[in-house]
Amino acid sequence: MTRHQGTVTPMPRNMSKRPTGEIHAAAAYGKKVRKKFRIFSVRSGMDLPFLFLVMVLLIIGLIMMFSASYANAFYRHNGNSYFFISKQAIFAVLGLVVMFAVSYFDYHHFHEFAIPILLVSYALLVLVRFMPAVNGVHRWIDLGPFGQFQPSEIAKFSIVLIFAHLISLNFNRMGTFLYGVLPYALILGMTAALLMWEPHVSATVIIALIGAVMLFIGGVKLRWFVGAFSIFGAGVAYLVLFAKEYAYASDRITAWLDPFSNATPELIADTWQTRQSLYAIGSGGLLGLGLGQSRQKFLYLPEPQNDFIFAIVCEELGFIGALIIIILFAMLIWRGITISLRSRDKFGRLLGIGLIVQVGLQVILNVAVVTNTIPNTGISLPFFSYGGTSLVILLAEMGIVLSISRTSAIEKI
Amino acid sequence: MSKGTNIRMWHRTVFVLLMMIVAGFGAVVFNLVRLQIVEGETLKMRAVDNQVKDTVLTAQRGTIYDQNLKILAQSATVWQVVLEPAYITDKNRDVIAAGLSEILGLDKETILKHSKKKTYYDVIKRKVESSVKDQIVAFKDKNDITNGIRLIEDYKRYYPYGTLASTILGFTGTDSQGLSGIEAEYDSELTGVSGKLVTAKNAIGTDMQYDYEQEVPAQDGHSLVLTIDEVVQHILEKNLAEGLADNNVQNRGCAIIMNVKTGAIIAMAVKGDFDPNDPFTIADKTQADAIAKMTDGAEKTQAIQKAQQAQWRNKCVSDTYQPGSVFKMITGASAMEENLVSENTQFSCPGYLKVGDRIIHDWRRSGFGSLTFAQGICKSSNVVFMKVGQLLGPDLFFKYFDAFGFTSKTGIDLPGESRSLYYTASQLKPVELATSAFGQSFTITPIQMVTACAAVANGGYLVHPHVVDRILDSVGNIVKTAETSPKRQVISEDTSKRISAILQQDATSGTASSGYIPGYRIAGKTGTSEKQEIKTSKEYIASYCGFAPADDPRIAMLVFYDEPHGSSYYGSQVAGPVFLKTMSEVLPYLGVEPVYTEEEMAKLDAQTPSVTGMTVAQAKNKIFQNGLTSQFYGSGEKVVSQVPEPGKSIPKGGQVVLFTDEQSASKTVAVPDLVGLTLAQANERASAVGINLSITGAALSGTANTISKLQDVPAGTKVSPGTVVTVSFIETSHVE
Repeated sequence: MTRHQGTVTPMPRNMSKRPTGEIHAAAAYGKKVRKKFRIFSVRSGMDLPFLFLVMVLLIIGLIMMFSASYANAFYRHNGNSYFFISKQAIFAVLGLVVMFAVSYFDYHHFHEFAIPILLVSYALLVLVRFMPAVNGVHRWIDLGPFGQFQPSEIAKFSIVLIFAHLISLNFNRMGTFLYGVLPYALILGMTAALLMWEPHVSATVIIALIGAVMLFIGGVKLRWFVGAFSIFGAGVAYLVLFAKEYAYASDRITAWLDPFSNATPELIADTWQTRQSLYAIGSGGLLGLGLGQSRQKFLYLPEPQNDFIFAIVCEELGFIGALIIIILFAMLIWRGITISLRSRDKFGRLLGIGLIVQVGLQVILNVAVVTNTIPNTGISLPFFSYGGTSLVILLAEMGIVLSISRTSAIEKI
Repeated sequence: MSKGTNIRMWHRTVFVLLMMIVAGFGAVVFNLVRLQIVEGETLKMRAVDNQVKDTVLTAQRGTIYDQNLKILAQSATVWQVVLEPAYITDKNRDVIAAGLSEILGLDKETILKHSKKKTYYDVIKRKVESSVKDQIVAFKDKNDITNGIRLIEDYKRYYPYGTLASTILGFTGTDSQGLSGIEAEYDSELTGVSGKLVTAKNAIGTDMQYDYEQEVPAQDGHSLVLTIDEVVQHILEKNLAEGLADNNVQNRGCAIIMNVKTGAIIAMAVKGDFDPNDPFTIADKTQADAIAKMTDGAEKTQAIQKAQQAQWRNKCVSDTYQPGSVFKMITGASAMEENLVSENTQFSCPGYLKVGDRIIHDWRRSGFGSLTFAQGICKSSNVVFMKVGQLLGPDLFFKYFDAFGFTSKTGIDLPGESRSLYYTASQLKPVELATSAFGQSFTITPIQMVTACAAVANGGYLVHPHVVDRILDSVGNIVKTAETSPKRQVISEDTSKRISAILQQDATSGTASSGYIPGYRIAGKTGTSEKQEIKTSKEYIASYCGFAPADDPRIAMLVFYDEPHGSSYYGSQVAGPVFLKTMSEVLPYLGVEPVYTEEEMAKLDAQTPSVTGMTVAQAKNKIFQNGLTSQFYGSGEKVVSQVPEPGKSIPKGGQVVLFTDEQSASKTVAVPDLVGLTLAQANERASAVGINLSITGAALSGTANTISKLQDVPAGTKVSPGTVVTVSFIETSHVE
């Protein structure tokens, strides 16, 4: 725990007690070190606690993914129990390589990539609409031997990046409508529109939340949020209540309110995944059934290696295990935000916070879905859920946070 | 970059961090506590339930056997075909739909529609035979389909004998639950116990790779061995159905054969019944056609439901009726037990009796003059029994009514047993007592009647009627056997013997003589009762209840026809011949040896000797010595074949036809119509074409007014000359 206190009481030198002083000192420190390197930021070591948390979560995630996918792989892939884990492990190694590479890369160069990446994300979101529908939605681009890829992953990153880029450049004008609201509303609106075209409600919600958090931190006046939330709330209510083409969403809300309803066969089918998830979580109890001992993963819980992996975690490791994993995520977020806050400039600060908030939101929303706290929607659990490309992207993003940490004014171990 | 904005950024970031940690993580941890700690046990139970239910490893339903372990109902493995739409891709959707529609005979468009549902589990066909399942497996292999089609093990109920004993057996529903008959009554025994621990099976019903210690496998259901004998049941159903058609019976008929000593039901039939393999189809053709012609709507649905309910209803236990004269055996036995009457007690019978201010007539208005008690039974005089009822008085009458089991259900192990309706001792006013004494003004079930009849026969013991002899577990150990000890003794053995003798006399020469079979010592009583609930038209119930052999009773039997619309509605003419025919076929099967009186012997059949291979003269002589006549066909020296074959019984004086060459052996004659004739007329017609008659029924009792009622070989059948045709006779003068 002394380590944690170290994170809250930062800065080895210049022991000012006031936060402003710390930030000021950190910025100055950043300016000083910036001149000493160009592309690769190897001068200072990366933040080992953050790296440690990433590695621990990744390893636990892989073990649990193996356990959860084991039965499904066995039955659905001709007895090959290693079908999912072998692919995921390869992507994990690849992701780690990417992460370390990115951590050596000076994140300031992302300023130059912000607009191109945004445009690429738009292009991919348009392209994906022309891919074959899976379960009636167009979310996946098939990459052949590299598996499948969700453009919404890139879209999330592109929003974080372009917001960090624009806010850091216009930081002092964020109070105005023209510089503080309009460009962001346009960019976010465009992304949201493309995502709803797939349709992909959960990604839209996450991106909207990330955007809102970044604008909030960036200093947009609170009244804009009041207005935006009113419009957003009205929109959601309209979709749920009236729009026919989003009927699947309103079905899910019915299923959410009563996951054990046997009213109609359709409803039973809709609530199947949720109720199997609740059975799994409940079966775990305090201490769990033991690693590998889940019963619900034996085809009761559909695709347990994906969005509902946390239910299997709860079943096998119990409340204690689930709580430990949630605490690890909380520590990762805490440390990530600390690193970002102490970054030497606003771009690093916003970029880091945006990426960490994205991970935090995904964890919260995923666990909320699995525990039926919110309606069922497709949100994966970072480090745990099966998906090669999204794991590589996630680790690359962690690489950016590590890159920020290299110049961040925090105590390195 | 001002200090203010920096501080604001810091504050807002800390706010976001705290919101995520406190509100976000706090909420999910709160929910985890709720789900895992607070509701954990409940959810765990439901999960186990869910895993039990979804393994689809239902225990195999037990088999139902007859007394000789012939299989009457059995479960066989079938399969449920389930689509997993979520795993069907656009690439293989069409292949799957085309393949399944071909194998399962379903519409391809329907399957395509199912395959697009947003579910993981969608049943498209149930109860698919294993051969079809193999086809699907082969189809999956051929097209390399690993996901998207699931096959789940299930069971289907088969009834190999079709309609046989359907009323007793009942049938099962789509989830193999018993819905009527034995299947419903013994549902919990037959069903077995589903596996308590599901972990042995995954959601598609195949074995999990894990070995869980807590596994309790499903226990297959228990099997039942019935007291029913398939052969006797078959004989009874055949004869009951014939009688139903012959007498144009409107409201079905039923019959029961019971072991008088144990209460075991050897056969129990209701016609028209249904095929338990297809219980919802209306089995009665005319009714089914009438319903098919109706236009769709509530009325049609109602008609179908009514017809279904009717064909499933077990008249033997669910219908109540006024037993009529059959009940006189009970009144008579009670009075004899109380020493109020004996065989020779004299009664005067003027044809009516004034009871209170009412005059109640006998069935023969002219009366019988002076009768002994025994004669009163044989002539079925109502006046005699009204007087016997008066001798008993309400208290004693009700005491025996109750003791013979008419006030409570018999407790037979079949569903839907009805309650009887009757006057209690204090409600039995003179008129009610008088009519009750000859079996009117109360209603009972057929099973109650036959049980009481068994008590009259077996020495006075009221037995527990039952259809399940023993329950076996899945490896064949006996779990439970039926209660065969009697409930109580109602009358003494002596009274039982004496009343049996009178009833035997009745069956030999009285109103019940249409049930007479020489040598088998049958005792019985007929009954014809008016259905009082029908006010618009007069409808009757014709019944016959009796037992055999009278000196050492083995079986009791009741035949019951509801609303006969044929030439007669009398018990003696409608139910009697069926009773007779059934007894004559069942008793030899049960190994009851005939014992003939001298009078019977004189009229009895002679055995045909074997004369094949003898010369014509030798054969003629041998046949004459046996009290028979001979008839020759052909031009050969020696007899090459004979009809009837050696050792067959034909009436004395009957004709043995002998063939002396092969060509003539193929000669045939047509059997004439032998129904509705006197004994002499029948003999004349038979000898005219050269066939032999075997006579059963009333003709043998020596009275004159008998006519033939049934023949065992239908008129017009081509047979060899000399063939024996059995004709049964009934006495027309004795009707009630």
